Amino acid sequence: MKFRSRVTAVALLTAAAITLTACSGSGAQPASSDGSAGTGGTLTIGAFVDVKSFDPAQAHIGHYVQYYQPVYDSLLRREPDGTLVPMLATAWEYNSDNTELTLTLRDDVTFTDGTTLDAEAVKVNLDRFRTGNGPDASTLAQVSDVAATDATTVVITLKAQDPALLDYLGNADGFIASPAAIEGGKLATDPVGSGPYTLDKSKTVAASTYTFVKNPDYWDPSLQVYDTIVLKPILDTTAMSNAIISGQINAALLTAKTQPQAKGAGLTEYNYPTDWQGLLFFDRDGTMVPELADVKVRQAINYAIDKETLLAQVGKGLGTATSQPFGKGTDAFDESLESAYPYDVEKAKALLSEAGVGEFSITMPTVSGFFDPALTAGIGQNLADVGITVNWENVAGSDFISSLVQGKYAASWFSLFQGSPWVAVNQIIAPEATYNPFHTTDAKVDTLITAIQTGSADEQKTAAQEINKYIVEQAWFAPFYRPDQIFFTDKNTTTEPQLQQAVPSIYSYAPAQ
Amino acid sequence: MVSFIVRRLISGVVVLFVVSSLTFFMLYFSATSVARNILGESATQAQVHLKEIELGLDQPLFSRYFDWLGGALSGNFGVSWFNSQPVVESIVGRLPTTLSIVLVTIVIAAVLATLFGVAAAVRRGWVDRLLQIVSIGASAIPQFVVAIVLVTVFAIGLQLLPATGYVPLTDNVGGWLASITLPIIALAIGAVASTAQQVRSAVITVLSRDYVRTLRSRGLAPREILFRHVLRGAAPAGLTVLSLQFIGMLGGVVVLEQIFALPGLGFLALQSTTQGDMPVLMGVVVYIVIIVVVVNLLVDLAVGWLNPKARVS
Repeated sequence: MKFRSRVTAVALLTAAAITLTACSGSGAQPASSDGSAGTGGTLTIGAFVDVKSFDPAQAHIGHYVQYYQPVYDSLLRREPDGTLVPMLATAWEYNSDNTELTLTLRDDVTFTDGTTLDAEAVKVNLDRFRTGNGPDASTLAQVSDVAATDATTVVITLKAQDPALLDYLGNADGFIASPAAIEGGKLATDPVGSGPYTLDKSKTVAASTYTFVKNPDYWDPSLQVYDTIVLKPILDTTAMSNAIISGQINAALLTAKTQPQAKGAGLTEYNYPTDWQGLLFFDRDGTMVPELADVKVRQAINYAIDKETLLAQVGKGLGTATSQPFGKGTDAFDESLESAYPYDVEKAKALLSEAGVGEFSITMPTVSGFFDPALTAGIGQNLADVGITVNWENVAGSDFISSLVQGKYAASWFSLFQGSPWVAVNQIIAPEATYNPFHTTDAKVDTLITAIQTGSADEQKTAAQEINKYIVEQAWFAPFYRPDQIFFTDKNTTTEPQLQQAVPSIYSYAPAQ
Repeated sequence: MVSFIVRRLISGVVVLFVVSSLTFFMLYFSATSVARNILGESATQAQVHLKEIELGLDQPLFSRYFDWLGGALSGNFGVSWFNSQPVVESIVGRLPTTLSIVLVTIVIAAVLATLFGVAAAVRRGWVDRLLQIVSIGASAIPQFVVAIVLVTVFAIGLQLLPATGYVPLTDNVGGWLASITLPIIALAIGAVASTAQQVRSAVITVLSRDYVRTLRSRGLAPREILFRHVLRGAAPAGLTVLSLQFIGMLGGVVVLEQIFALPGLGFLALQSTTQGDMPVLMGVVVYIVIIVVVVNLLVDLAVGWLNPKARVS
């Protein structure tokens, strides 16, 4: 009897559980993107990273900006094509030698804690950004002083010209927090800005769901297309794909491996390049691998790499083969350099022969789970075909970048962001660039760098194209291809990719018409 | 009994101290470039160096260890190096996710494994053979494979249950149940299979004991013998297996939390390990050791209650 009653109890509990599940109405919890433009609704975005801190002094570009954009206004706003338009600053002007930038601010903006936006607030934020040791603090390294000359005027004085400064102010560097909230010291988890939305902490679970609700007093309602924006950090690519296909989120960045399933489900696909992938020759003076000092050897490696096959096998064909490290849409880009080094084993062998080098080996790092086995196999095979042996050294993922920038390897494969020419110069070309650990340079490169930094707009453009052509000829790198970012939205949502940004800006989403 | 509990608690504290200290030292010696990981690829070496000083990474090993120990003893595990969240808040916020999955799975495993195990032991014959075959098969299927199949069928295909995410029990009971159903099924299949095998063996062993034969000869009903005497005798084995399952699940749930994008303790442990987020990882280790010590103590007490021979005075 007891046995029967216990079995009955189990059965009842099971039935209750199933009933609750069925009645919850939250089974698959479909994300709603039900508003038409300006009429509200909820937009749920899957994010590939979790926010590290909501403090704008710790803001970072790329995937991270979407966490800051709802809450903070930026000084300038970048349109999807990269054009800068007013946001908190209504006008901006350089002095004659580009060492002093004057910003004129709006006078009708208040932060969501009631504090008024003024020049002093902007000064406090910019000073915190450049001295706060955040991920992008070095982008304001040229700033020597920020002065609030009156309530709506800020003057930024530079030690030396910085052609990318305006872009920075339209990106991570330009987010402005309430000075009162800065004093409060809780910005890392309780952001207070003047942006179109505010973080609703009652509906926010750190690392899982960040809910932003419309700021009722916002000065530009055209940027408040949705009533609510939800950001869900989903760090696993398969989980991200499952979430958008099953309707839990409206938009997500996927990968080449998860793209076919999303495409098959009828979702809207957006492809755009933001990175380039290939080999970085750090040891161009031949300190570790003497053979690399010879330009012919570096050119030979460029010819030896079968870019199209690597793109097909590793990048699933989603991208564009290239021989230049500068991105499309930048002033430095040169269409004729795209195929500067076609796959040609015989030419590679001839160059190596001309250089008088026999068989040699290069040790390069590899990271389990980050380096596709097809990639290392492909590089290894291509170089072996011309007599170069690659010794892959396994490195912990967390040590990979450090090992590169500290000059532990003569060369490495990597995937790097393609920003504006000045950003790229400081990333990979200048003697003190992050990815120039051996500080190699030559007189021509130095001259061109100076021209990009200090020249007029036309001179900057010419110099950027020249430096691109020169480093391709000198084979400072061996670019393989620009992989596409593979972004999807559901049928109810549209967006527009943002130039030089991993994901669209939150201003670019709208319900599909 | 009280002295037994006190002794076990003291040994638990010693285990906690030893495990956490060893973890701290191992992390120190396998230190990764944490400052670089925090600042990202575009930071300069000078920034990285400054960040190392900010985090106290330039301090000697024992100075850092005693700083951590002093904080931990007062319940302050610090702040995550990566997301600025207080460690305790981060762990406490994630415990409900992991415990929801693991505890409900344990209850389901206990009920189903007992039903199947007892049925196989009592009936023997084809029921027993079927249980053996199914158990071996179910134990052999990796959890992540089951999870992916479940997501594909029930979340993407039928759209009955969510593919990712967790709904707190306090927000919506139905949503909570929906969000943990697929992970629990993925976790429970292996747990039920292996526990049912143990219950079956234990029941068969007890059924062959002399005292059971004596009870039968005295004319007691088979059902009464089974529920009053046999199950009580077999329960310690089942409980021990379940406690081991529970501890194993705290590890096994890591993969499931990743597949279902659940904000749980397992994923936090994985993430903090790969990032080198020492304050969070140390906090997770301390909490998990406490959970393991408490579960073992409770199981020992339960076994003692069920089986007087195992009782410690």
